[in-house]
Amino acid sequence: MIPVRCFTCGKPISTAWEEYKARREKGEDPKKILDDLNISRYCCRRMLLTHKEIIDELNPYQ
Amino acid sequence: MEIEFASLDDSLARFTLSGASTAFANAIRRAMIGEVPTLAIEDVRIYDNTSALFDEMLAHRLGLIPIKTDLATYTTQDKCSCGGAGCPGCTSTYTLSVEGPKTVTSSDLIPQDPNAAPVYENIPIVKLTKGQKLVIEARAILNTGRTHAKWQPTLVCGYKNYPVITVSDACDACGNCVDECPRDILEVKGKQVVVADGKLPECSLCRLCERACLASGIGDEPAIKISAEKDRFIFVVESDGSLPAKEIMNRALTYIREQADELEKQLGELSGDDRK
Ligand code: SF4
Ligand code: SF4
Ligand SMILES: [Zn+2]
Ligand SMILES: [Zn+2]
Repeated sequence: MIPVRCFTCGKPISTAWEEYKARREKGEDPKKILDDLNISRYCCRRMLLTHKEIIDELNPYQ
Repeated sequence: MEIEFASLDDSLARFTLSGASTAFANAIRRAMIGEVPTLAIEDVRIYDNTSALFDEMLAHRLGLIPIKTDLATYTTQDKCSCGGAGCPGCTSTYTLSVEGPKTVTSSDLIPQDPNAAPVYENIPIVKLTKGQKLVIEARAILNTGRTHAKWQPTLVCGYKNYPVITVSDACDACGNCVDECPRDILEVKGKQVVVADGKLPECSLCRLCERACLASGIGDEPAIKISAEKDRFIFVVESDGSLPAKEIMNRALTYIREQADELEKQLGELSGDDRK
């Protein structure tokens, strides 16, 4: 799952994840999406840019 | 001492503080980060968790959710009349009960006190597939950032000295410094370099312009000089939404005053002088 807040500054960036993911999958430039979502600091930007969602891979193993 | 706001809304305050020492500026900064209390989830009772995340992980994620805090309603547990046992004056409870398939979000946390709801509704907590279940009871208490960062009301909270840019007559308007400045502070106007309108506060005091000037072969001294006003500070305070930025500042200043009064009182007692 996407971390709730930015590790460095504490901004709750997880609220932007769904939109970021959907738009990136449509092929939009991540720079533009992050600018649109008002995520200005590079600490917060890397949270979304470098996140890999693995919950779907974990879910079958209970 | 004077405070002048450049912008102020609930989530962000920008202001200049003039006529204060660095020590005082730092005291305000630290008070805003570490001494203004907010609500955050501290205890979690897990009745059922068949999700892919461990209980600890869930509790950790819940703790980081910013919660709207009304400081008139809540007090810290050590000051509460219940003595820390937990009552509506110091604790806010939440229940959560969700069955998959669904992504559990902060809006699934049902607060007992609607004024103490999570700031954002769409913070994902965990994704459940079919058949997975999550039943939780959580308690949020008031505490300060000094104890744990989840109680910090601020995100970005810092200051820098007010920049001073002086350009001497030696400047030949070659424009090297203009090209070098990463924040586009400078521009060539006539035969001299000047600071672009209203850009001065954005200067980061990085001094790249001084180096560019030296590299242009002007001699031993750059024509442009960057210095800082020692008693004037530019502050940026960003709130995580739990408290308005203005209230964070007010509470921090009140805290400093209380500490100063306390110190004065104790010093008075020590010296046997009971004027106060
Ligand atoms: S110190 Fe840095 S930011 Fe300020 S004017 Fe010079 S190059 Fe620009
Ligand atoms: S680099 Fe130096 S000489 Fe050239 S424009 Fe800037 S201040 Fe003037
Ligand atoms: Zn950040
Ligand atoms: Zn109580």
